Amino acid sequence: MSIIEASGLTKVYRRGREEIYALKGVNLEVQAGEFIALVGPSGSGKTALLNVLGCLDAPTSGMVKILGTETRGMKERDLVSLRRENMGFVFQRFFLMPTLTARENIELPLLFSRKKVSPGRIEEILALVGLQDRAEHLPGQLSGGEMQLVAIGRALVNDPRIIMADEPTGNLDSETARRIYQLFQELNEKGITLLTVTHNPELARLAGRTLTLRDGKIVGQG
Amino acid sequence: MNFVTLAARNLGRRKGRTALTVLGVAVAISLLFSLLSFNSGYESQLNREIDSLGVHLLAVPKGCPYEAASLIMHGGVIPKYLSAQDLASVREIDGIKIASPMLLHQFYVSGSPHVVYGVRINETLLLKPWWKVEGRFFSDDEAGVIMVGHSLAEKENLTVGQKIPFGPQREEFQIVGILDRTGEQDDQFHFLPLAEAQRIFRKQDRITTVAVKVEDVREISRIAGEMEKIPSVQVVTMAQITGTIMNLAASARTLLLSVIAVALVISAFGILNTLLMSINERAQEFGMMKAIGASGLDIGRMVMAETVFLTAAGGLLGVGASLVGSGLIESLVKSWLPYAPGGSFLFADPALLAFCLLFSVLMGLICGLYPAVKSSRTSPMEAIRGGME
Repeated sequence: MSIIEASGLTKVYRRGREEIYALKGVNLEVQAGEFIALVGPSGSGKTALLNVLGCLDAPTSGMVKILGTETRGMKERDLVSLRRENMGFVFQRFFLMPTLTARENIELPLLFSRKKVSPGRIEEILALVGLQDRAEHLPGQLSGGEMQLVAIGRALVNDPRIIMADEPTGNLDSETARRIYQLFQELNEKGITLLTVTHNPELARLAGRTLTLRDGKIVGQG
Repeated sequence: MNFVTLAARNLGRRKGRTALTVLGVAVAISLLFSLLSFNSGYESQLNREIDSLGVHLLAVPKGCPYEAASLIMHGGVIPKYLSAQDLASVREIDGIKIASPMLLHQFYVSGSPHVVYGVRINETLLLKPWWKVEGRFFSDDEAGVIMVGHSLAEKENLTVGQKIPFGPQREEFQIVGILDRTGEQDDQFHFLPLAEAQRIFRKQDRITTVAVKVEDVREISRIAGEMEKIPSVQVVTMAQITGTIMNLAASARTLLLSVIAVALVISAFGILNTLLMSINERAQEFGMMKAIGASGLDIGRMVMAETVFLTAAGGLLGVGASLVGSGLIESLVKSWLPYAPGGSFLFADPALLAFCLLFSVLMGLICGLYPAVKSSRTSPMEAIRGGME
């Protein structure tokens, strides 16, 4: 079953009179339970594609369907709801709230989704990402790898079907990066669909499918 | 975790800026509370004080300045006098229960004014039956004796039996009595037998006013009319006194109100500035929140909660500071007024406290509206294009 479908996707950014084509007619189908790595040189359109597929950014033209629902023309609040119910995001720069502890950062999406979860669920996520002992620490007291693990925990708390990660290991050392990808593999084995942008070919090999982008187009897959 | 916790933690990030904003609100709310409290307290204190005069009408010399009434109450000098003949004419009017002559004088010692009332003690005690004294009351025919108000005795460390140099010739007078505290202007005054006051101030047979108490209050306007027929007499009713003083106070109140309005506007812009700086700094954070499932309404609600926190804290601090510093505020306000009654007119009226706190919250809601709407429109792409820790 296709969990994400995209066809004829273009994304144009305007800088003054200049038009920059980030995506040029991308077609893509992602099946439920896939682990896909988007690779390619800087400026190839990987992040633009991830943002459009994650409904964080609107395509200039083309169509995106998430779980069979076309996103074109959807109101902002419906897009928020679609993201909240189905997707979790992990960013290169973590984007943690500096005033909240690791535990509270993981709980933050629940505040917006109004979901009640048992305290055991948060402990479960902390155990999954290996941060039981660091739960009450603020981001400033954590290492880069630990911050990214908190961000992954935050992405998991609403039980998403899809996790989108943009360069999740870009700021981390190779050992921590491997740990993150192993965690992604574990999540994928539990049935979560993963799309991740990476520059690291070694890590890309851990994904089930690799899509290579260049100049806004998918130019290869393996 | 909830929106309130989140808002409180956010405000804790920039403690200095938060504290200054709260302080700005506190100053404005403190001024507002003081003025409103003053408004309700001033008139009631004034009426209480006028009642404490124990008279229905005052006869003053014709051509007195329009503020004669307030001068008589707080002990100013009126440069005109009535004669013994005028007093006799007033007393002839039918329906008058007491007509008590008084001579007011003022002199300065080390730059501070001292107010002297020359009175007939037996008549004064009929007008002010609540007067009590430590020591004794003087009698009308005694010489070299004086009574002083309670606050004055405290201020100048005066005791019963003490002899003090007094008046323009610095004659020796013995304090025979110190009035128990009345809470009124009487606490500040010196009292002498009328004849002694006339002697030391060289105003033989002259009086400043005749305090009149009538038999039947329904007769006041008739009696006032008859008193006005005495060629050298002008009549002041208590209603006129209240009216005159309230009119004078109104101009001071308008000035205060203008100051407060300016303070409130400055404070509102302070809040707005703080919030706009804060939401601009946190645009990426809001974008991230949108990405992880926050709606625009959630973001707006959080910003509103922060604003209401700021203003409610400012309101509480302002009202608290007003109550704690009411003495200082009162002395400041009283120095601006043409006539300030004794006693306190800043007090913790629960309705007024509630109003000021509600006002501060309302101010927060109004100031927070634009920043809340602006932040609620932040796009998730703000976070992705920019960068956070």
